[in-house]
Parts: sequence; C-alpha cells; structure tokens
Amino acid sequence: MNAETPATYLKEPVAFPFCKGCGHNHYVNHLNDALVQLQIDPSNICIVSDIGCIGILDSLFRTPHTFHTTHGRSTAFATGIELADGILNDSKLKSIVVIGDGGATIGLLHIVNAALMNVDVTVLVANNMLYGMTGGQNSGFSPLEFVTPTTPDGNIVPPIDICAMVKSCGAEYVSRISATDKNLTHVIAAAINHPGFALVEIVELCTEFAVGKNKLDGKTIQRMTDREDHRFDVLNDRFSRTEFVELYKSKILAHQKPEKDDSISQKYFSTLRGKRQWVIAGTAGEKVQLASYLLMRSAIMCGLHATQKNDNPVTQGSGFSLSEVCLSSENIYYTGIDVPDVVIISSADGLKEVRANGTLSRCRSNSVIIAEETVPEFTAEGTIIRIPLRSLCTPQRATLSAVAAVLAVEKLLPVETITDSIRERVGDKISQYQNDIEKILPYFSALKENEQ
Amino acid sequence: MSSSHIKIRTGNQMIAEGALHAGCQFFAGYPITPASGIYKSMIEQLPKRGGVAISAPDEISALAYCVGASARGAKAMTATSGPGWSLMIETVQYALMTELPVVIALVQRLGPSTGGATQGAQGDVLFTEFCTSGGYTLPVFAPSTPQECFEVMTTAMFWAEELRTPVIVLSDKEIGMTAEDVDFGSLKSYPANLRKQYSNGSPNDHPYKTYDFISAGEVPLFAPVGGKYKTTMTGSAHDKSGSLQKNSPETMEVLRHLQEKITMRAQEMALVKIDDEPNADTLLISFGITARTSHDAVRIARQQGKKIRFANVLSLFPIPEEKLIRAADGVKTVLVAEENFTGQYRSVIRHLFEGKKIAGINSFGTMITPNDILNSIPL
Repeated sequence: MNAETPATYLKEPVAFPFCKGCGHNHYVNHLNDALVQLQIDPSNICIVSDIGCIGILDSLFRTPHTFHTTHGRSTAFATGIELADGILNDSKLKSIVVIGDGGATIGLLHIVNAALMNVDVTVLVANNMLYGMTGGQNSGFSPLEFVTPTTPDGNIVPPIDICAMVKSCGAEYVSRISATDKNLTHVIAAAINHPGFALVEIVELCTEFAVGKNKLDGKTIQRMTDREDHRFDVLNDRFSRTEFVELYKSKILAHQKPEKDDSISQKYFSTLRGKRQWVIAGTAGEKVQLASYLLMRSAIMCGLHATQKNDNPVTQGSGFSLSEVCLSSENIYYTGIDVPDVVIISSADGLKEVRANGTLSRCRSNSVIIAEETVPEFTAEGTIIRIPLRSLCTPQRATLSAVAAVLAVEKLLPVETITDSIRERVGDKISQYQNDIEKILPYFSALKENEQ
Repeated sequence: MSSSHIKIRTGNQMIAEGALHAGCQFFAGYPITPASGIYKSMIEQLPKRGGVAISAPDEISALAYCVGASARGAKAMTATSGPGWSLMIETVQYALMTELPVVIALVQRLGPSTGGATQGAQGDVLFTEFCTSGGYTLPVFAPSTPQECFEVMTTAMFWAEELRTPVIVLSDKEIGMTAEDVDFGSLKSYPANLRKQYSNGSPNDHPYKTYDFISAGEVPLFAPVGGKYKTTMTGSAHDKSGSLQKNSPETMEVLRHLQEKITMRAQEMALVKIDDEPNADTLLISFGITARTSHDAVRIARQQGKKIRFANVLSLFPIPEEKLIRAADGVKTVLVAEENFTGQYRSVIRHLFEGKKIAGINSFGTMITPNDILNSIPL
C-alpha cells in the first residue's frame, strides 16, 4: 500500500494532446481532481480507456493502472477485471471506464450488461456528439438537426439517452453534466465512490468538427437536450442493490455442493466380441436419449466400451429424437454407424428421421429393426419386427422397454444391467417396465425362427 | 471389481475437466451448439473450486470478460463455435497484443454463417489460425478423443500462461457431443503453471515495465492490473513500457517479439502422436475427429498388408514441421485426411513433403469413414 497522499495522479509536467477548447481537457482535469479528492491508492485504480480522442488520456496518468482497450469494449474488459478482482482477489480495485459517445454507441450492450449486473465499474462517457478522431462523423449520440460531414443536411435520427437506458437497467448512480460545469469533480467523485455500477454522461463540444458547422453555444445545447428531454442533472443516486460480486459470493459460491462421484464399476459380464451398433429413434420427450444412455451405461457396467451420440431438431423439445450407440469389446475409434445391428423406431417421428439420415438404407441382412406397429410402411434390409410398443407400454416407456426387451432376447448383456439402472431411477415402478418386457418378448418369435 | 475410474463423459466435459485440472479460475460463456456443454460444465464445476463461471450477453463480452480477468491475474477460458469465434476475433487479437493468457475452446460445426449447428466439421482450421491482422501465429491444439480433450486442454493452458498469449483448442461437434467411457486413471496432462510474475525490488526503486524483455523471444514478467506495480496495458502499438508509440525501433521490436516468443518455442509445443510402421511407404496425417477414424482405417489397412504410418497431429499450429518431416521419412505418399472441402491443413503443410506424392481425403457435412481412407491408400 502506498502511504503518500497524492496531489495529482497525472504525469508531471503533463501536456494534454487535445485541441484548444475541447471538453476532454476539462474531463481529464476533473477526473484527476476527483481522484485527488477521494485519495484512492493509485494501485487500486484502473483506468480502462476506449478508442477515440478521449481514449488517449491513459497516457496522461502516471500512477494508476491503465488498460487501453478496443473500440466500445472497454466496459466489458472492465467488467472482467472487476469480477476477477471482487471474487478472486481483495475487491479493492476501482475500475473507471473512459469512453466516448462513439465507443458507447458500438459498445452499448457492454454498458447495459454492466448496469444490469451492477458491477462496481464507473463509466464516464465523454459525449461530444460525434466521432472526432475520424473526421467528425455523426454517432448514436448526435442530436437531431446536428450537422456533421455524414449528416450534411442535419441529423434526422434522435440520440441515445444513455442515462435513461442505464437507469432502466438498474444503475443507481446516473448523472448528465456539462464538461464546463464546476460540479463535475464532485459528480465524478460521487460516481467512483458509488458501490456498484455508475455512469456519468459528460456533454462536450468538439471544437474541430461540431463548432462552426453548427451554431453552438451553451443555450443551443441546452435547447437541443431539452427538446429530447436529456436533462442535465443527477438522475439517480441511491443505494439499494447489492454488487454483483457480493451476490456471486453469497448466492453461488457459498452454496456449492460437493461433486458426486459418478464412476461406473464393472458389475456384470458381456459375451459380446467386436462391435454392436444401435440406432434408437422416436419422439422428443419420450425418453429416447435416456434409453440410449442407459444402454451405454449397461455396456460399460459389463466392461465394454461404448459411445452415444444424440440428434434432435434445433427446437429440442419437439419432433424427432435419435441416438446412435456403439458397444464394443475393443476401443472404439470411428463413432459413426456403418451397418446398424439394431434399429428401434418407437414413433412416426423416429421413422421419418431414420429414413432421412440414411440409417434404414445402411441396414443389411443381419440388421434387426424393431418398429412401432402404427408407423407407416417402410422397407429395409434385415428383419423388421412390428410391435404395438406405444399401446403395450405407453409412449413414455415404449423406447426404454423396447431396448430392455432386445437385451433380453440378444443375451449379449444381462438384462439386469438395464433393469437395475431403471430401478435406480423409478424405484417400485420398475414392475411396469418388467411387465412391458414380458408383453414385448412374444413378438420376437419371428426373429428366433429366422435364426433357426 | 475394485474401485473404478471409468466415467461417462463427452469431449466437451473433458475440456472442462482439463481446464479445472490446469487450475482455470475464470470462465465466461455464451450458448452455442456444439460448445454449450463446456459452458454448462464450467458453470456447474468451477464455483465448487472457488472460481468464477458466468454468463455473458454475447461472445464479444464473453472473451472480453476473460481477458479482463486475465489482466487481473486469473487463468481464464471461454468456449464457442464458428459463429461465436467470428465475434471473438477482435478480442483474440487484443489478448495477443496485450500479452494476456487466455484459452478458447472452439468446437467446430458446419459453416459458413449459422451453418449446421448440430453437424460436425473441420472447416475452421485456417479460419482459426489466420484470424489476426498482422499475421501472427496463434497456437492451435486439436484433440481427437475425450481423453485428448483433457490432455490438450491442460497443454493449452500451460502454453497460454507460459507464453502469455491466446491459445486455441480446436475440437468439433462429433468429439464434443459424443458421450463415451473415459478411464480417468489413464489421463495424461501437462503440468499446471502460472505466468511468471514480476517481483523484483520495490515499486519506487525499479519502475516495472509491462512489456519488458531483453531478447525478442523472451516473455515479459507479469504484474496484474490492481497489483502493487503500475501496469500500462494497451492493444495499440507500444514500447516496452506500454506507451503508445508509432514506428519507434523499440515498438517494432515489441511487435516482432510477439511472433518471436512463439516461434522460439515451436518445437517444444509440437505434439504429434506417431503410430509407426518402420518400412512404411505411405504416411497418413490427420487430426481431430478424423484422426480417430484413421486409427480404424490404419488397423484394417495393415491387416490387408499395407505399409502405413500414421501421424495424429495434436498441435496444428505452430506447424510441427520437424516432426512431420521425420514422420514422412522413407514414404512415397503422404495422405492428409480432414473433414473440409479443400484440404485446409494439407495446404499449409504440403511444402514439407517435396518430391513425395501428396493427396487429400476430404468430406463435407459427414464424417470421413474408415472406408473413405482405406480406398485412398495406395496398393
């Protein structure tokens, strides 16, 4: 910690690079005066500057940390600094964003989100109503009728009211003030001192581009801002919200449960040698992916290797749901399904998808296709067994019961591998699944006859 | 049947596991298929270890939060896919210029534009590497399995910290979203490290220079924003103290150093797994999901009597030139298998194999199959 009481945070001597009469000169002096007034240890200050004329002020400060960022993103970088400071460190750092109206236009969302989160970041918008560094083009903050090189006939789009915007996002210190206002030091100090997000819009004139083309003086600026109801005032000053980092610590970090060990031990043995490839297809919400997961888990409980990949439409909760599961006694490298050994189709949605994605056309004579009885006719190589799965087992249990029944018939893995997993999830209701399996099994007689 | 280390995990989950193992403290995410699994895992697991995992309102913010946190000294990462990567490129370059470590896991999906969210692809190889204005080397690592996701993530975290630079882990949908059995007992990892910190002298006696180095390949010592040494970080061209400078010899030296520090350590970063065949006449090169498929193809090809060597490239950039040249020793044909139209990786390594026949095995929108590779191996 630095015990000295700084009389200035600026370089000595310091030469401001700004044009004569530019509001940025006031901005820098008042910011420095505010820091002097607050007597913050300079190692606890980070000036996060944006792009544009105002952004070069970082080079004028001698003792605070400075972080010169990309255009408009300064508030997002400051948010990251503040999160790491407040949660992972001692939370002493004050991050001050130095940004122009151009940066605030392109980076509006970063300012909005910092206000919503209520991170302890102070945003000082130097609003000179145009892009000064690039030739005076109009910005999102240019008033109506404002003449710039890119609005030669006067601006026809109203300006952003950044103060109203952040206030609506919960910002609790919000002020709009002229760069020439003698209260500016006090307002900046109040903003920095505010625990949580604060924003000050400092209205300035760009002597190079704004003056001359526009008949501007204090009165006309007042008229412009009055017309758009952009009042010069402290627009909010209260303290009711908890800072984000405090909420994160109390609501999230303090309530963490220990990690569960989800290791799987081998409990059973499998007679499978080589690879067995399953495609399971049905309707979203009917436990297709759960059935596939339990199949994979069962195989791993038998010491096999297994992979599962899921597919569904972008809407997730509607339309088809499909899983591809590979089981193998060897390491699985290629995870695609070349020839499906088992295909389960538990609904018309599922049939549509296995047709569309080529599963059915990749079936060969040894493939076994279990299809819900009521789905439309289809052809595929291999043995097709139609079973009224949905009416025998209910649509919710149809897929999982069909998977269990196939295991019972194949005898490559003990059927208990999957029924045990189902019991873990549903308890006594396992009897429903056991009944389902009993009802499904007779339909496999065709398969057994074929094999004989 | 003693205590097991077998767990069911996706590649995305293993990237998160790798990050946690490497000591990652900060994650900011924005949802995007197929990378959302990393985001979800970090939200679930990082706070359990006292870290910060938060939601950002877009990918630009997500990476900017990470870089800001990195400036405060935290080990940080994010995850995205092609469309989100597009938005992050500005900030990746900022991290490169400000020498702030960060890891980005880029889980590829089918492009261009919004493309196919749930379709795998390896079409972002060049898009990832050549994203910087000025043409700097971004280290890019590519896992092919969940186990390698873990290994590569720890490797990426190591190099990000060691070199103070952004590092990319290039995965894809098929690795990221496929669940499988993973033996945690057999995982490999890089040692966890932290960027070397400045600590000499008192702040007043020895003014700290944010970007100080003697030889261009050296990595500047780090002092965090908010620490006791005054830092001056900037994305604009700067001298060693971080002051904005235009065209001064020192600024040019700093700009050269940003590349030199990567080039100097390229050989150390090289990570290529060779499945050797001493008398091979064909070298198969692949990476990511297609490297996985290549294992099957190579096994079958050898059963058919073909003499084939296989190189699984885990460090795509900097290009592991020496390892690849050595891998091609004695072969007549070099095959490069990758799931994109034009053979992106092939196009940047082909100069290493002068005098040899070079061919690509490519697909788009579907995984390359073992047969696709087998059919391309010369008799």
